[in-house]
Amino acid sequence: MAETILKARHITKLFPGMKALDDVDFDLQEGEVHILVGENGAGKSTLAKVILGAYKAEEGEVTFDNEVVKFNGTKEALAKGIVAVYQEFTLVPHISVAQNIFLNREYRTKLGLIDHKRMEREAQRLMESLNCEYIDVKSHVKTLSVAEQQMVEIAKALSFKPRVMVFDEPTATLSEREVDSLFAQIHRLKKEGIGIVYVSHRMQEFPLIGDRITILRDGVKIKTVDIDACSNEELVNMMVGRDVSQVYVRTQNEHTGTALRTQNLCDYKGKVKNVSISVRRGEIVGIAGLVGAGRTETAELLYGIEPVKSGDVFINEKNVLPKCPQNAVKLGIGLVSEDRKLQGLALDESIALNTVAVSLKKVFPNFFISNKKINEIALDYKKRLRIATTSVNKACKYLSGGNQQKVVLAKWLSFNPDILIFDEPTRGIDVAAKMEIYGLMDRLASEGKAIIMISSELPEVIGMSDRIYIMHEGEIVDEIRRGSEEFNSESIGARMMLGTGGTEDAEK
Amino acid sequence: MKAKRLFGEIKSSKVFYSLVGLIVLIIISAVIAPNFRTVDNLITIFRQASILLVLSAGLTAVLLTGGMDLSVGATAGFVGCICARMMKEGVPILAAFAIGILIGMIVGIVNGFLAGILPSFIATYGTNWVLGGLAIIVMQGAVIYDLPKNFTQIGVGHTGPVSNLIIIAVIVVVVIYILLQRTTYGRQVYAYGSNPVAAKYSAVPMKRIMVSSFMMCSMCAGLAGMLITARLNAADAAMGDSYGLQTVAAVVIGGTSMLGGEGGVVGTVIGSLILTIIVNVMNLKGISSFAQGMVVGIVIIAMVLFDTYTKRKQERSAV
Repeated sequence: MAETILKARHITKLFPGMKALDDVDFDLQEGEVHILVGENGAGKSTLAKVILGAYKAEEGEVTFDNEVVKFNGTKEALAKGIVAVYQEFTLVPHISVAQNIFLNREYRTKLGLIDHKRMEREAQRLMESLNCEYIDVKSHVKTLSVAEQQMVEIAKALSFKPRVMVFDEPTATLSEREVDSLFAQIHRLKKEGIGIVYVSHRMQEFPLIGDRITILRDGVKIKTVDIDACSNEELVNMMVGRDVSQVYVRTQNEHTGTALRTQNLCDYKGKVKNVSISVRRGEIVGIAGLVGAGRTETAELLYGIEPVKSGDVFINEKNVLPKCPQNAVKLGIGLVSEDRKLQGLALDESIALNTVAVSLKKVFPNFFISNKKINEIALDYKKRLRIATTSVNKACKYLSGGNQQKVVLAKWLSFNPDILIFDEPTRGIDVAAKMEIYGLMDRLASEGKAIIMISSELPEVIGMSDRIYIMHEGEIVDEIRRGSEEFNSESIGARMMLGTGGTEDAEK
Repeated sequence: MKAKRLFGEIKSSKVFYSLVGLIVLIIISAVIAPNFRTVDNLITIFRQASILLVLSAGLTAVLLTGGMDLSVGATAGFVGCICARMMKEGVPILAAFAIGILIGMIVGIVNGFLAGILPSFIATYGTNWVLGGLAIIVMQGAVIYDLPKNFTQIGVGHTGPVSNLIIIAVIVVVVIYILLQRTTYGRQVYAYGSNPVAAKYSAVPMKRIMVSSFMMCSMCAGLAGMLITARLNAADAAMGDSYGLQTVAAVVIGGTSMLGGEGGVVGTVIGSLILTIIVNVMNLKGISSFAQGMVVGIVIIAMVLFDTYTKRKQERSAV
């Protein structure tokens, strides 16, 4: 029986307006890959950050090597050998691989100058231990591929002589082949007795690398199970926590006339290739795909954020071209953008000002505004969307994620566009707020709005959409209707991953 | 009840600390300099503040969008010079005045477009040099004086008991206040400054907002340049130089954030008064003008430090 390196007991972590972790237990053995799984906002990254010392838990304790530790920041955790391999790369692009690995702790010569030779030698040794000697440690990081950068990231982590490594969604940006080589590395690290915490929501990966799996939901630990002792369905049920049909409400309503249609849409970056989609009034159309499949890019083309290279957009069968967001808005297109903090809201400004951000000119066509009217509108939406706040004059930064998202929705509802694109509308918000947003989308569709929904959460796309386009590396590879035999997570998930459409399968 | 709410609102706004600073300054000044308390001196302060007010009210809009305009001093100098030159060449006062405003507008458009491509403080630092150079070319190295009396009256005359300069400053401040607080344009300026990315995604016309705020700023600078010329009854290529950074100081001391989205004209009025009173009191106490720059610098640092500190505290208590 392997030794337990790390034990976390009764961990509770509070964020403004929500309990991110509630009395969670977790432990990790030597040479084990322990997967943390859960929906977005379930608390898996938060737990990882508590282990790494990035967050301080309000309650509970972490034991490392049978010794209670209280980390004050990641540096202290690092000193004990607990390192992270982050999802977003933390490498500096304009300096060499070796300099990156030893950033801020460079070897020095006797004169106190940086000892490049020694650093390069050590870096070379690390890369060799990862079977990556083909990566030149003198080359700049920006010249490396994403997978190579990930290897450098791992090499950097190894240079700390870790006992525990935390991988946060490491495969999100990797191609299949790159994933294979990453997994080979993880297996090797395992054999050396390193304990690995693996945060992910890609279920198909779990049997390939995992030993045990801990399911979190809404900040609560549901269960820890052996990887072989649990089927995918059981996992999903534990993650979602209820019969999926209860969460999603989709009333059957009539679809009338095509509101928006695109033909062979392409962008300049090569992220969107010949995309032809359509959405009718009263219809919710989902776009499923992996991160980087070109879904957000398609939305941004339609909303005029990025320029269209070729192809056509038709609104109500009229050929138009949204050149900029003002243009798109005039054409009746709204975008609930992916990143509400960066793109959705002016966080320092009041709920009221954010609510009227798009509709300002519509509400006050005569240039002069009335603060009273703005407040009335904001209060109306606060009531309708049940935004939990004491005052609409409060800055948005003080709201919880779910309530912030509701303000973004209020911003669009007050403008009332005919076509609404929802890009990851429920990312990082709690289940109650999610359900309200689903209800709202359903109501909007029933009122005759045309809705496009982009989401990485398959259950959500399947639960809400009348029709689903599957996108893979910039192309639409398939289209599946509700009611068809393939309208399920297995078929859609497989196509998202592999990029093969039903029709192509038939040809084979 | 209403008073209490009003007080709460003032206290939570960024203006509060500037206002406290102004009041403390007035009390100290009144104690240490008996001649500060005279009606005459108060009128002098307002008159002295008026040109700075015109400049800084315009600059407020630019700072609110998150931009910076370092060229206001040179714009004022250039417009003042060209206006003086034109009047000397026989151009009617009204026409010269209108052309001066127009030049300000053009400078603003250029600044605004450049600011769309470069960081605005670098772009306007460049235009500051260009305009300074142009002013010298216009003046051919000389000083113009003895301007038409009807023109200089704008700077030194009174309407009723009130100095013309004060009247003009008040009008400019009120117009800009209304533009920023009571129009869709103003709300968009705040939205832009607070989060440009979100503003873009909210279909705020980014370029138009940016260019128009720079335009407003440079028009104010042009107007201020002509007021300076009228008051001095002379024009000199360097006359706007000392105003450039003072204007930035007035806006910042007034609590408008250099990062955009926070602050407003009310704060700028307070900031301008603070700066003017400091100089006024130092003059009254006979403190050398050499030390004045240093004191102003210390006040700027102190105000911004205080502001950063209270903001951090506020945020901590809110979380």
